[in-house]
Amino acid sequence: MENKPGALARVVGLFHQRGYNIDSLHVDPITDFSPYSFIEKELSITFKADEISRLTIETTVSDSLMRQILRQINKLIEVLAVSNEKSTYLKGVLRDENLLR
Amino acid sequence: MKLAGNDMLIQSLINEGVEFIFGYPGGAALHIYDAIFNQSEIQHILVRHEQAATHAADGYTRATGKVGVVLVTSGPGATNAITGIATAFMDSIPMIVISGQVQSHLIGTDAFQETDMIGISRPIVKHSFTVESQESIPRILKEAFYIATSGRPGPVVIDVPKDLTHPDFKFDFEYPKEAKIRSYNPPILPLEDQVKRAVEAILEAKQPVIYAGGGTISSNASNELIKFQKLTNAPVTNTLMGLGVFPATNKNFMGMLGMHGTYQANMAMHNADLIIAVGARFDDRITNTPEKFAPKAKIIHLDVDHSSVSKIIEADVAVFGQVKESLSAINKLLEASESQCQDLSAWHEQIQEWRSKHGLNHNLFKNKDDEHPILPQAAVQHIYQASEGKAFVTSDVGQHQMFAAQYYHFDEPRKWINSGGLGTMGFGLPSAMGAKLAFPEEEVICITGEGSIQMCIQELSTCAQYKLPIKIFNINNLALGMVKQWQDMNYDGRHSSISYEDSLPDFVKLAESFGHVGIKITKNSQLQDGIEEALSYKDKLVFVDIYVDPDEHVYPMLVAPEGSMKDMWLDKDLKT
Ligand SMILES: Cc1ncc(C[n+]2csc(CCOP(=O)(O)OP(=O)(O)O)c2C)c(N)n1
Ligand SMILES: [Mg+2]
Repeated sequence: MENKPGALARVVGLFHQRGYNIDSLHVDPITDFSPYSFIEKELSITFKADEISRLTIETTVSDSLMRQILRQINKLIEVLAVSNEKSTYLKGVLRDENLLR
Repeated sequence: MKLAGNDMLIQSLINEGVEFIFGYPGGAALHIYDAIFNQSEIQHILVRHEQAATHAADGYTRATGKVGVVLVTSGPGATNAITGIATAFMDSIPMIVISGQVQSHLIGTDAFQETDMIGISRPIVKHSFTVESQESIPRILKEAFYIATSGRPGPVVIDVPKDLTHPDFKFDFEYPKEAKIRSYNPPILPLEDQVKRAVEAILEAKQPVIYAGGGTISSNASNELIKFQKLTNAPVTNTLMGLGVFPATNKNFMGMLGMHGTYQANMAMHNADLIIAVGARFDDRITNTPEKFAPKAKIIHLDVDHSSVSKIIEADVAVFGQVKESLSAINKLLEASESQCQDLSAWHEQIQEWRSKHGLNHNLFKNKDDEHPILPQAAVQHIYQASEGKAFVTSDVGQHQMFAAQYYHFDEPRKWINSGGLGTMGFGLPSAMGAKLAFPEEEVICITGEGSIQMCIQELSTCAQYKLPIKIFNINNLALGMVKQWQDMNYDGRHSSISYEDSLPDFVKLAESFGHVGIKITKNSQLQDGIEEALSYKDKLVFVDIYVDPDEHVYPMLVAPEGSMKDMWLDKDLKT
């Protein structure tokens, strides 16, 4: 997500607001962009130092709730991409059949 | 051009084509109010309570499709706006709310009238901004309007510390031509494959239902929907938020669905083999028990919001994109298709049978002499007839709202203005002000209850100041009728805290005290004449206080908990 004030609060607030549990949470600014070059490519953008952060949240939920959580997070304006082990949601890019239903 | 922060804000609004600001001044907003004073392109509407500012902006938006703008001061001004922001959020109504904030160096010190507006409003906004420098004002405004109006629309809050609007500090001002936010790309066009799969399912369906909601209105897709119906010949039902998007007087319209939907609409949903949801979100007031929802139906869901699809009811085919574009694409493919839709005559016959068995309008006028109390449904029917079905109608929340939705038949979108998602009592009068300001020549009616109207009744004063000749019809049942109905049905008639009969104001005198006209109707024989008289005052606000049967209930009503959509109360002692 964008490294902007308030962005973290929106994600954490969303979990509380929709009744999802957070088991653990970790946030840090991204310095090595190489794992995220697919985002740059898909959205035709280039990241600069300190511009984006990675937020890692652990939560234990059913598959259908997981899908709903991913979509709700993806809806937040300052989030660029969200993924779990199985799927990746990118802003405005919907290609993967699994994400479509 | 060099401008100070306060002028930048107002100039940005002018650049966005804003006509009205609905607001209320106070310390943290004073510089901004000075900028309003110094221009003449935007009219400021001074309400009597910040809640009303948000509802008025909201009513303006629902009636026009243009974005309403609200300006409030910090602290209590901001918190008073919260209910209206939440109301807009729940119904996906775009809105820009500018809240004054204490000076930057005081933030976090519990300064006078300091409130964390961004924090308080976070769960009820689409997005929010804190202004951190004057230079960022034009960009933030541009982005705020873009975010509020695109994708699934919603309210955006902009919190502005007072020092950043100080008139002495000027900066270069250039209003951006477009907003580009790399982390925000709402879908517009649907994917071809999704459209193809939708059309395949439509061509196979023998018992399809088109279920259209508020998203169809916000996407201005009424014409596309009407065309889609013609191509498929499928029957249509609208949600409370969607009323008007498909003409109510069209023979293929089954009425509203859901908790107080018509018998035929709910039965059709339950028995459908295909449900085409268009800009609707399977709200709990629609589905009843989700596990028992439409057991035989395939679901096609057209929506712009990814997170709405398969949230409550799993979709078989999802079509993401602006509903208008998705419908157009489906229509095109249907027109080009070699195969025909199925013959639906048996399905239409079945629906007609349901309609004649338990449809609305039964026996309504059977007791219309003065021995019997006025039925609230009859009052709405008379309002419908007298206004020729053409008025903008706002409503509050309760039985009167449901009667208005059932008995005022809307043939056009944006004419029916009510708080569906949050169910906010107090919404009716201020939202009517917004609609009337936008359409001064059109009839604007507020159908309210004596409970709801008192929640924003101070706005009678605003209506006097800006000469807004709204027609208020107060369906007066001397109680919080909807609550009373639930107590009748679920609490053995224990009427806990729902009446105030002896302490109601004399609404006629109250209206007159603001310079308005008041009319009181207590008998059936006065109903038609009284309503027609009210509508004959072209330049006056008229408050019509209609005393109705206090024991009437709203039916049909879905049976809960555990019920499906076919389980309805049809009368006090008749269940399906
Ligand atoms: C602000 C707010 N508070 C409480 C409620 C709960 N509520 C829903 S309907 C209703 C009664 C409304 O009474 P009235 O306006 O007289 O309408 P009636 O049902 O009698 O037609 C109440 C209290 C609400 N919807 N909004
Ligand atoms: Mg009442």
